[in-house]
Amino acid sequence: MTKDDLKQALQPIARGLFGKQGTNRYQRPVFTSYPLETMLADLTAIPPLAWYPYVFSREPLNGKFNDGQRREWMEKAWKCGEEYAEKMSAEFGTENPVLLANAMKMKVEYPTLPEKTDRVLFAEFRDPDNIRIYMDAVKKADRLLSDDRVREILTDKLNVSKLLLAHELFHYVEEKYKDEIYTQQEKIRLWSLGPVHNDSTIYALGEIAAMGFAAKLNDLPYAPWVMDVFLVYGYSENEACGLYDEIMTLVGKGGD
Amino acid sequence: MVEFIIGIILLLTFFGLAYYCIKGHNLMIGFLVITIIWTVLPLLGTLFASSDFLAANEVLQYNGVLGNDGLVKKILNNIYQTAPEGWGTTLVNVCWGAWFGRVMMDTGIASTLIRKTVELGGDKPIVTITLLNIVTALIFTAMTGAGPVIAIGVIVLPILMSLGVPKAIALFSFMGSVAAGIYLNPVNFAQYRAFFIQPDQMPDFTLSWYAAHWGYAALIIMLVVTTILTGIFLKKSKTSRAWAAQTRGASTPQKDAPLYTLILPIVPVVLNIALGFSVIGGFVLAGFAGLFLCGRMKGTFKENCQLVNKLYYDGVVDTAPLVGFLLTLPMFNTVATYASPYFTVVLGEVIPTSELVICIVFAVLIFMGLFRGPLTLVGCGAATLGVLSNVASFSVPFLYAIFAIPTITVNIGSCITQSWVAWGLAYTKVESSDFLKLSIPNAYVTGILQYVAVFLMLTGLGAAWYI
Repeated sequence: MTKDDLKQALQPIARGLFGKQGTNRYQRPVFTSYPLETMLADLTAIPPLAWYPYVFSREPLNGKFNDGQRREWMEKAWKCGEEYAEKMSAEFGTENPVLLANAMKMKVEYPTLPEKTDRVLFAEFRDPDNIRIYMDAVKKADRLLSDDRVREILTDKLNVSKLLLAHELFHYVEEKYKDEIYTQQEKIRLWSLGPVHNDSTIYALGEIAAMGFAAKLNDLPYAPWVMDVFLVYGYSENEACGLYDEIMTLVGKGGD
Repeated sequence: MVEFIIGIILLLTFFGLAYYCIKGHNLMIGFLVITIIWTVLPLLGTLFASSDFLAANEVLQYNGVLGNDGLVKKILNNIYQTAPEGWGTTLVNVCWGAWFGRVMMDTGIASTLIRKTVELGGDKPIVTITLLNIVTALIFTAMTGAGPVIAIGVIVLPILMSLGVPKAIALFSFMGSVAAGIYLNPVNFAQYRAFFIQPDQMPDFTLSWYAAHWGYAALIIMLVVTTILTGIFLKKSKTSRAWAAQTRGASTPQKDAPLYTLILPIVPVVLNIALGFSVIGGFVLAGFAGLFLCGRMKGTFKENCQLVNKLYYDGVVDTAPLVGFLLTLPMFNTVATYASPYFTVVLGEVIPTSELVICIVFAVLIFMGLFRGPLTLVGCGAATLGVLSNVASFSVPFLYAIFAIPTITVNIGSCITQSWVAWGLAYTKVESSDFLKLSIPNAYVTGILQYVAVFLMLTGLGAAWYI
């Protein structure tokens, strides 16, 4: 018996004995599969304001709202984002998110953080002036964009990195103008007990306005939530299809 | 002299096992191998050990390995058959608890409870976190296993992150409160109790007794410290907003469960502690109440049977990875009895016998509960317990508590080797080091206070609590 034969014979025993625990066996469901082009064509056809059921489905306080409130807030928040995009580009003399970030003295980082699970993180804003664009997601998206059909649907106006940056820039703007900006002024009363009450801002409004802000700065002809499916697709076709299914169901139902 | 050499070899195998566990290798196989080694060495040792040594240790008096009176066979049968069989009663509790956890998730009761809690706190992160920690702890007094933790985690973590809570703090706070709840979890209690005594031994050592004498204090300490530390960490940190995407998996969002059903997660524990009602009975009662009240039993009889069966299947799968390990442990616990005389020869003079000193030593060495180290029962701690309980004499509730802290506070609540913490790290993309920077201070502050509580509440117990 050669040394290699012996090694090969012992390998299964060693693996059995020294194999890692592997108790983290959380498995995601398998979703219906769709071609990427079909999903993108359907999603880009959804008007921005029609995305509200999906956006509010991620809102922690969603159970407190009725459909009328969601529609109203969607419209106002989107408009707020667009207005601040105009205001900022006028103030700093540019619509380019990279130049805007420089002008606002933001610290922008582009780490390449591999994403492994069902929750894909695209970008982050950390108070007061730090933005992180996770390039692993961006690079995967750029590879998908090299397909002519995908590029045609998403248009040449899409620059994923700039879109993510613009979105996160809004959160900085939101902090800066928090005493007057709509997204921080609209509040809902959660409970009251005599004179004691708890009024809360609505997280989703900031996200909606950030999308409006990003769409305006990038002159995007569709709502940036399309990126949720597109960027996730780079990691997992299955997860992207699941998300697409969920969006189409929610948006198709139109709220309550 | 021979007994001393065997004692040293056994001690070396103990450290080998600790290293093996810390490296994250398979616990079931590791404990099976160590059980075989600890069977062979002590039994063979009797052929060469001094007559004084054998005379002083009744457990080793079976006329040597070659004796033909059947005692060796009896010992081997005791280690490899009777011991794991005895754990069967605990396993039944684990299976029903897992089913109950699945029912609470399937009916939407757990998720509704979380959502309603968040709706009370709103955009004030510390208020929301405090409320969520309390509710999470309450939920996990009855639910356990990776499945339920993940199911609740996918609701709680995105909510906290959306409120601007940095992801490491959100994860640390959630995992800490899960562990706090486990202090009163009847399934975990039965599971860990089996490390110390047979299920039918010491009938007075019930969850109710344990809760009143230390369990409540342990839960409250962990919950309060985790929440206060979260507040401190939050104050120091910078809020963040993230653009992330994930599918919820269900195209039709789960409806809210009726408000009156939100009490059901704590019903089995309350029934058990307050009325002495059986744990499994509580799970069955509250589980079926949940299924009926939430409208999950509106199908045909056949469909309803299939649903109950599926939930049971899913629940048992949730706990399956641990079952093999936990069914190997009783063999190890039993074999430790035969190894202990050799350990006494080596460590008898070193191991403290004072409860106060043990509390202090365990509090200082709390980090040894991390990475499946020598203090956690779901790791190499089972070996330490084997040594400690056989070398010195302590009451069962005291021993239970001093090992519960490194097992629950440190391993389950603060360590990245815990299956659901590992899931949480991957889910939130928190670096292990960032999580440990938050969880280790929590493990120490919580652990020290809990050891103080152990000393104040569980020392000096009467002879009835010794075996």
